[in-house]
Amino acid sequence: MSPSLFCKLTTVCSGESLQESSCVRPKKYVLDPEYSTQLVPCLHGEQRTRVEPKSSELEKVISSLQDMGFDEAHVNSLLSMQPTVHPQQLLDIISEFLLLGLHPEPVFMAMKKSPQLLKLSTVQMKKRSSYLRKLGLGEGKLKSLLHGCPEVFTMRQRDIESVVKVLKEKCLFTVQQITELLHRCPAVFQEDPSKLEYKFQYAYFRMGIKQRDIVRSDFLQYSVTKIKQRHMYLERLGRYQTPDKKGQTQIPNPLLKDILRVSEDEFLARTACSSAEEFEVFKKLLEREEEESESHVSEEEEEDEEEEEL
Amino acid sequence: MTYSVQFGDLWPSIRVSLLSEQKYSALVNNFDAWDNVSAKLEHLGAKDFVKEAISPQELEPESDLSPPPSLNYSPNLRCFTFPRGDISRFPPARLGSLGLMDYYLMDAASLLPVLALGLQPGDTVLDLCAAPGGKTLALLQTGCCRNLAANDLSTSRTGRLQKVLHSYVPQDIREGNQVRVTSWDGRRWGELEGDTYDRVLVDVPCTTDRHSLHEEENNIFQRSRKKERQMLPMLQVQLLAAGLLATKPGGHVVYSTCSLSHLQNEYVVQGAIELLANQYSVKVQVEDLSHFRKLFMDTFSFFPSCQVGELVIPNLMANFGPMYFCKMHRLP
Repeated sequence: MSPSLFCKLTTVCSGESLQESSCVRPKKYVLDPEYSTQLVPCLHGEQRTRVEPKSSELEKVISSLQDMGFDEAHVNSLLSMQPTVHPQQLLDIISEFLLLGLHPEPVFMAMKKSPQLLKLSTVQMKKRSSYLRKLGLGEGKLKSLLHGCPEVFTMRQRDIESVVKVLKEKCLFTVQQITELLHRCPAVFQEDPSKLEYKFQYAYFRMGIKQRDIVRSDFLQYSVTKIKQRHMYLERLGRYQTPDKKGQTQIPNPLLKDILRVSEDEFLARTACSSAEEFEVFKKLLEREEEESESHVSEEEEEDEEEEEL
Repeated sequence: MTYSVQFGDLWPSIRVSLLSEQKYSALVNNFDAWDNVSAKLEHLGAKDFVKEAISPQELEPESDLSPPPSLNYSPNLRCFTFPRGDISRFPPARLGSLGLMDYYLMDAASLLPVLALGLQPGDTVLDLCAAPGGKTLALLQTGCCRNLAANDLSTSRTGRLQKVLHSYVPQDIREGNQVRVTSWDGRRWGELEGDTYDRVLVDVPCTTDRHSLHEEENNIFQRSRKKERQMLPMLQVQLLAAGLLATKPGGHVVYSTCSLSHLQNEYVVQGAIELLANQYSVKVQVEDLSHFRKLFMDTFSFFPSCQVGELVIPNLMANFGPMYFCKMHRLP
């Protein structure tokens, strides 16, 4: 609670006509210690690389934010999340998000979860929204993307493109399937493209699941470890068979949702019909098998390299 | 395979175990510094399952009933395993202080037929299908063999057996009269050495289900080997019959396989007993091993519904077996 800060704000207030909506009572700002430390440095004359907004600008931003529907606590919080960002820029970017059709509360939640969103320029923001719309992720869907995976807005363009490329060219999903996939499992955007391809191949070749069911079951959102553990357990128990060329199996395979979507307890009780202790041992054995086959492959690769040198 | 019919609800857990890494145990070599080796293995976190099974028994000297004869288990066998659910592996065996290997890694279930045979000091012993030699080695570890005859039809396999003996057994025992290794046809033993042995182990060639489930190539269960597979029980009956004929009247035989199939297990036992009764007028009685089984229930999973003999079934908590064994008494 710096006295000089207090003075500064009261000076502003007394110079204008008091209106409820546009004048913020100074004491609320004093209560936010983080914010007050930002204003203090400029008063001490220290050199900082942080932005030093003029108080009138700041006030305008505050009032605009309030007009948009953010309450005072949220305004406080927003202004202190990214100290290097100029409040005007902050206002611009928040406006962009509101233009997507979102309400203040969800926008605030997204910013809180991923404060780096506030560092985006409006240009970047518009470009990204437009690209996402092209992928079929229009207004309503952009909302859920922001909620589910805000990183979609801050990621590098080429990273997103490489994911979309894998889905289109390697996995042969249709455009509609890709849209649905990204809408349902936006975390897919952040996956390493080669890992994504591996997961797809596992589903398609090893488990015999086609694109439509991969999308419907949200298969790609589960970790490879979990998929392999549950699938291979069922397979070795004799409860899951890879369909033959005609797509047939001798036994009816369990539904994907009963394999991946259910909790481990339910999986064991209903799908695997096995005990937790056996599954624990199996998981350990599988981990070891995977480690050993990986090191075996890299040994072979080393040998190949050596041969090439000769 | 129709094992799902034979085993019902147990089959999935057996199957997943067969397809997962087998658990091994370390049979201590009594011919080298066994007390050091035992200490070393305990230090790793393993326990001697034979000692664990036997000792609770010894703590109850007050029981009125004298233990049934089948409770005679072969002595001096020390075999270490990691606890239930523990998938640790033993380090490879190494040379001990006396120049012999310190322990032999084998499926713990393979020790049960040797334990069940109930060797006593001074016994003459025949191991009819001895290769690759784990059970043969165990027989020698008991210290009870006045003479041990180890045979296997295949010369390449007896070669392996010789190597095992070379690495584990002192020269004076190997090269004296005590141990004899041959590569003759086991089915001929009735004629060759009838009525000779106190104890006979007939650990027959079988479909080795654990390996068959893994290997695609040359799998015994593939159609092209159907004839061979169908002929197998017949071969097994002949071998068991020969083993019974080679036993002294009053002696004991254990028949064992690493198959789950009752066509290779109970049917063979019953077939051989019938054959001996009808063709040779030799009476053979099956011995009840249920007390024996109870001793080892904490270490192994046993199939509850064998008509004769006992069957260790693999389970992920104790991935040993399959191992079927049945003890028989040739009546005097």
